[in-house]
Parts: sequence; structure tokens; C-alpha cells
Amino acid sequence: MIRAENLTLGTRLHDVSLHLPPGSLTAVVGPNGAGKSTLLLVLAGLLKAEGSIAWLGEDLNLITFPERGRRLAWVGQDLQADFAFPVRDVVAQGRHSFGDDGEFVDDAMQALDIAHLADRPVTRLSGGERHRTFLARALATDARIQLWDEPTANLDVRHGLDVLQLATRLRDEGRAVLISLHDLRAALCFDQVLVLDQGRLAASGKPEAVLNPELIHRVFGVKAYMGQEMILELP
Amino acid sequence: MKRSWAPAWLLALLLVLAFMASLALGEVRLAPSEVLNVLLGGGENLSRTVVIDFRLPRALVGMAVGAGLAASGVLMQSFFRNPLASPGLLGVSTGGALGAVTALALGWASNSVFALPAASIAGAFLATFAVMALAKREASAEHLLLAGVALNALFGAATSFLLNLTAGRFEVSGQIVFWMLGGLENRTWVHVWMVLPGTVLGCLMLLPYRRAMNLLSLGERGAQSLGVNVRRLQWEIIALSTVLTALATAVGGVIGFVGLVVPHILRLGFGPDHRRLLPLSMIGGAAFVLACDLITRFLPGELRLGVVTALLGGPFFLWMLRRPT
Repeated sequence: MIRAENLTLGTRLHDVSLHLPPGSLTAVVGPNGAGKSTLLLVLAGLLKAEGSIAWLGEDLNLITFPERGRRLAWVGQDLQADFAFPVRDVVAQGRHSFGDDGEFVDDAMQALDIAHLADRPVTRLSGGERHRTFLARALATDARIQLWDEPTANLDVRHGLDVLQLATRLRDEGRAVLISLHDLRAALCFDQVLVLDQGRLAASGKPEAVLNPELIHRVFGVKAYMGQEMILELP
Repeated sequence: MKRSWAPAWLLALLLVLAFMASLALGEVRLAPSEVLNVLLGGGENLSRTVVIDFRLPRALVGMAVGAGLAASGVLMQSFFRNPLASPGLLGVSTGGALGAVTALALGWASNSVFALPAASIAGAFLATFAVMALAKREASAEHLLLAGVALNALFGAATSFLLNLTAGRFEVSGQIVFWMLGGLENRTWVHVWMVLPGTVLGCLMLLPYRRAMNLLSLGERGAQSLGVNVRRLQWEIIALSTVLTALATAVGGVIGFVGLVVPHILRLGFGPDHRRLLPLSMIGGAAFVLACDLITRFLPGELRLGVVTALLGGPFFLWMLRRPT
């Protein structure tokens, strides 16, 4: 669904290749500054890099801007809102490339649990609520490819789990979902894990194979143990 | 979604009232019926001269200036994602004035009607590029305003220098002072042709960008990910906003705060959605400038238009800075 070959961008990315098949849920992990956000920006076509990228089998350079808006949705980390648009209007922007037809807007607000905030200005939301608003905008695009940069970082436990469950649902609908994360335990539940370290792909594959104590120690500089831990899940 | 156009009708009514008042009021006071008579092709000779030769061009120029400056303010605020951006504060108006004054001081303006607006556009673009270079996009409000302060000082100094050079040539130096203070006195049909077609065209060209501007004002990357060609949109809106400011400055001099105050009040009242904000600002800006121009006619000492907009806009701006965001 999205395929990238030999992505290189200065010192930020080195020769990264990857493939996200339809119906896949992929996590990108790595220390701060490893290039996770950069990788997502490059894959989303928002930052130019050397190498080639194809979305749904078509070279990114050949895809028009509105068509890009229909095929892929991206949610960044640094979400500012300086103008007091109501939440509903922000979510409805997801339909820009569809002529603002208003489809999926209410569903997206339901899915991110912000329907009760529909008329609230985005300038008067908490960090987590704002993040959910922008995730809902991405969801409203109904795009086949979803790229979310640390979507759970600002969220409370409950809404964080909601978002991961939503990602799973999108995967089950046949979409390709790529999420950058700091929570390695959450990454264990994904189909595929990409480990970035200093702009290079240190490892990729099934999480149980990739996220072994040796690699975690090498990349993150911490010791990893398997043992008893508190388990949090949605009721 | 419910989108009431009542505020647009209200503003349009205000604009019509301000327009009629600016045709009727002044040293020679005319009854509204007489003004209508004149507009319909009748009326006495004196009233015809007063309305057609003096007040109508002045009112039309004022409306074009107000609409252009307010629209330009909306564009810059969306471009810089900063509600404090405006042509006056960022130095684009002073840049335009410097261009106009240069054309006057060097005598180009007497060669062609279009030399003055062309020089003004060149000066305004110089200022726009300088601001963009000094304050990268997503720059903090402080950075942006400081860049504007520096440019305003620089262009102001260059204008003063030209004023010094022309000392003794009273006609020229008088005109230069006019551009520095801003005003609509003695505007003729030549000025109407200089500013009105370009402003109407510019405003019409902006209308299709309104939806994309909504996206842009919440972030460039987000907008691009949703299918907006952000780079092209930014060039187009910054170019149009600069041209609108330059046209306004070419005929009216530096008239500050219109691009800041008008969009702000309307945004507070009717929300930030550009689909409404942009047309409302054009109407509101035109009405605001006409109203300020009326004030200049009645206050003693022949206050200049730029002085009145600053007297009204300055305190408003200070209040805005104090307001918690």
C-alpha cells in the first residue's frame, strides 16, 4: 500500500526502505532524535528526501495534491491552533479533497470521543483533546493510509488505548496504519515494528522477534526484562 | 451547518450609510435626496460638482483602500498563522509608501499615471520579501513584530531622507508628507482608476482561496497532507495581499491598523472561518475607512485619515496585546 526505497535525507535519514501492506499495523520506535517524525513526514510527502516512494503502487511525484489528500492522512506531533475554529469545523477539514462533503465527520468525532466538544473552539481544548481533534480530522479523510506521529503521547490511559484500538480497527478494514511510539510494550501488539536509530533502520519485522533485550539495550541503552507487570486494557 | 449571512447584510448596510454620509457631509452639506438625485444624473450644478468631482472619487478610493487593507490583513494573518500580522505592523505599507515617495521625488510620477502605483507595488514587495526573510514562517509573534519594527524604522528613515532631499520643492515635499500621514483629500477620478479595478479584481481573485486558507491557518503541513498545494497557495496569497496593500498605499499613503483592527473585531464576532471572514472584512474595512474619513472632516485641525485610524487602532492593539490568548 505504501512502499519506500532508500530514503535518505542529510543526517536525519539513511537509506531507509520499508513496505506497509494493506491491512497492516506498523509501529516505528526509536530514541529521541532517531528520525521517527522525519520518516513519517517523508512518507507523507511533506518533506523531500532522496529515494522513491509509492502510494498504492503509484509514484508519489505523479500524484496530484488533492489525490494525496484522499489517499493518505498524516497527524503530526506539534499541533498548534492559533485561530478559534470550532472542533467540528476542524474535523470537517478532513473532507477538503472531497469538496467538503461532510461525510464521516460525525463518525470520526464519535470514534475519538470528541462529539461533546463539537462546538468548542480548538483554542480552548486541552493538549489531549486537541490531539484527538486532529486525529479525527485524519480519520474523516477515510484515507487508505494513516500515518500518526506519537498519537498517544498527550493522551490519558483510556484515550490512548482507544486510539490503539481504533488503529487496529482501521487495520482490520484493510488500511495501512503506521504509528510512531515511545511505549515499547504497546508496540508488542503491532503486526510489524520498525526500529530507527540515528536515522538508520536498526531492525524491522515481527515485534516479538525484533524487540529483544539485546536490541533494546543496543538502541535505547536500557535493560529489558520480561516479567510480571500491570496490564491495562479497555473494558 | 448553519451559516448566517445576517452580519454581512448588517455590514453592507453600514457601508451604504457611510457611503451616503461621505457623499452628503462636509463643508457643503447636502440632503440625502439631493445626493440620490445627483447619483441618478440630476441635481443642481453645485451639488453635481461637489458630489461627482470631489466626494464620489474620495469615497470610492476610501472603500477600495479599506477593503484592500482589511483583506490584506486577513491574508497575512493566515499566512503567518498569527493574528497580530498586518500590512502596517509588518512594514509593507511603509514599503509601499517609500516606493510611492521615491517615484514622486525622482519625478517618475509625472511621466505616467501608473508609475506611482507600480513603484508602490515594488516597495511593498521589497518589504514583504524582507519580512519573510527576517521572520521565517511559524516565527513567534515577537520575532515577526520586531522584524516589522525594524522595517518600519528603515523605510521611514529612507522616506525622511527623500523628504530632506526635496526640501525647497514644496509641491513634492508636500506630497511626500501626504503619503507619510495617509489621507483621502483631493482624490480624483485618476486615483479611482488607479486603485479600484485592481482592488476589485484582487478581492475577487481571493475568494476561491477561502477554504484552503482555513486549512493553512491551522498549520502548513496539516493543510498539505489534506491536499492543499501549500507552497503555491502561500505565494499566491502573499502576492495578492502585497498588491492590495500597495494599491491602497499608492492612492492613500500609509493608513495603519485597518488590516489589524477590522479582521480582529470580525473574528471575535463571527469566528475565524475565512469563508465568511474574508468577504466580511472587505465590507467592514471599506466601511471603517469611510467612517474614519468622515471623522477627519468634522474634527478641528484637519486631522489626517492615517492619524484617525491610528488613534482608534492604537488603543485597540494595546488592548489586544494585554488580552490573554
